[in-house]
Amino acid sequence: MRLHRLWALLTIAGIVWGTASVVLLVGWGVGVHQMVDTGMQKVGKNLIYLLPGRVSEDLSPADNRRELSFELEDARVLRASARHIELMSAEMQQFMYATHDGNSHLVDVRGVEPETMRLRGVSIAQGRWISPEDLSVERRIAVIGQTARERLFGEHPALGQTIGLNGQTFEVIGLLAKVGAQLSRDNSLIDEQIWIPITTARNLTGRKNLDLIVVRPPERRMNDLVKQEARRILAKRLHVSPEDEEAVQVISFIDYLSGFDAVFAAFNVFLTVLAIATLAIGGIGVMNMMLVSVNERRGEIALRLAVGARPSQVVGQFLVETLVITLIGGIAGTTLGVLACAALSLIHGDLVPTPHIIPAMVALAIATTVIVGVASGCLPAWRASAVDPAETLRAA
Amino acid sequence: MSDPLIRVDQVTKVFPMGDLEVRALDRISMAIASGEYVGVMGPSGSGKTTLMDILGGLSRPSSGTYRFEGHSVEELDDRALAEIRGGRIGFIFQTFNLLPRLTAIENVELPMLYRAVPRSERRRRALDLLARVGLQERARHRPGELSGGQRQRVAIARALANRPSLILADEPTGNLDTVTGNSILDLIDELHRDGQTIVLVTHDPHVAERVERIVRLRDGTIESDQRR
Repeated sequence: MRLHRLWALLTIAGIVWGTASVVLLVGWGVGVHQMVDTGMQKVGKNLIYLLPGRVSEDLSPADNRRELSFELEDARVLRASARHIELMSAEMQQFMYATHDGNSHLVDVRGVEPETMRLRGVSIAQGRWISPEDLSVERRIAVIGQTARERLFGEHPALGQTIGLNGQTFEVIGLLAKVGAQLSRDNSLIDEQIWIPITTARNLTGRKNLDLIVVRPPERRMNDLVKQEARRILAKRLHVSPEDEEAVQVISFIDYLSGFDAVFAAFNVFLTVLAIATLAIGGIGVMNMMLVSVNERRGEIALRLAVGARPSQVVGQFLVETLVITLIGGIAGTTLGVLACAALSLIHGDLVPTPHIIPAMVALAIATTVIVGVASGCLPAWRASAVDPAETLRAA
Repeated sequence: MSDPLIRVDQVTKVFPMGDLEVRALDRISMAIASGEYVGVMGPSGSGKTTLMDILGGLSRPSSGTYRFEGHSVEELDDRALAEIRGGRIGFIFQTFNLLPRLTAIENVELPMLYRAVPRSERRRRALDLLARVGLQERARHRPGELSGGQRQRVAIARALANRPSLILADEPTGNLDTVTGNSILDLIDELHRDGQTIVLVTHDPHVAERVERIVRLRDGTIESDQRR
């Protein structure tokens, strides 16, 4: 009895391990996938950046190689004449010292437009967003990111307070919702930024030129169309050739994303292989335990036949036993896997992926272990019960 | 002997051993009537155990016919054969062959379980049988907690569970000391006195003194068949 109990425990442990690892590994893999995906979206998934550059050498005389710049008027013309652009916003950027109550920090200050919020995909946690009127009357107001708020205000409320930027006083009218990790290379973390109306920024810095115009096509497939249209309009404004790729520089995240789509496809293949491999390992483990156990119990099978059991009754008994064992193991393993996933989700941190449990995967894991377990338990039992009991009883 | 309980005709059993064939039984014919107490003797390798396995339905003859209570065993399907093994024949093995995971009473109930005897009836009859072999106190013990003699008593109770018409005992004292063995043989004698048909395999001449008829085997054939 003790041996049998030990065997059952070991078998169940094997099944638990198998199903738990499928649930955890696949769940975590999906979590990594989603983390990368949302990270990409936070950068601004379908954005196209338009940057002023220099006129190319071969298209203009050498003394005429101007360094180009965009002004607000250029952005206004683009907005008015482009037909394929869904959203657009001009941006200015400058690092400057922000002060509050003796605190002083060097902060990434952005001059933005009302459309920037939708374009960048951020939301307001508290207070209000910058309005068109704020731009037209050049209000000295600011919407600040969560990290910037913490640095300047600590635990104190920030809304309605004032901060100093380049010696001028700004009122904090809104707080941006926390964005978290952004998979961007240029350290432009929105949480650390302070956003002010672009017209106010122009006055504050004394600069007329914009740093960036960001546009978004209504759909990904209109990427090329929007790139061409934007370049054509801006080139005309700046009196350069629309063919000149160095004059008006266009960086489309959609181009990068199509590269990422291939990575995601590869990742999905990896996840599938991972799931199949884990299930196979679990299945082989279960099969092994079952085969060994039925082999060791051939004497018992023969004895049961000798005292009047029909072969079908013996197989039925093994069917029930293996079904109970694999089900207990499968359910316990799934529970363990789900608990492990839940425990991992408790680890907060932008770079720790949160596991996602896929019900179909869980069902597949349980079904595989049960089917493999029952088949590898019952088939040898069926074979053992098909031979004359004398052969087994005398061989022992 | 109008209607024998069992009759074997020209039964041969051949085991393949690599390229060779071992002829364990060679055209054996005999009949046993209801109520007989038969001893089967012979040196080891003479075919005693093979004969017992065929009589008990645990193995099928290579050729020849075996009729049990008028049924030709060769023609039975799984279900009918299981019914004879469990319901009409009780087997007592040299090595007891109890299931170690079950208690004494559960071992005794096993043959009744497969004959679908109701639970309460099963329990009652198993307790009666354990009382008959003197083990009612040990009903809840597992075989590992019982002595060899006690285990064989449990096996005898199990053999009697479905009130079989034939008891086959294959060297039932082979794994026991003389004193314990004698008490087991006394118990088997008692079964015979109650009218049970018994076939007992032994190589011990003292054991053979108890039976009424001795069949001697040598090299798979019947050397002699004597009534005492």
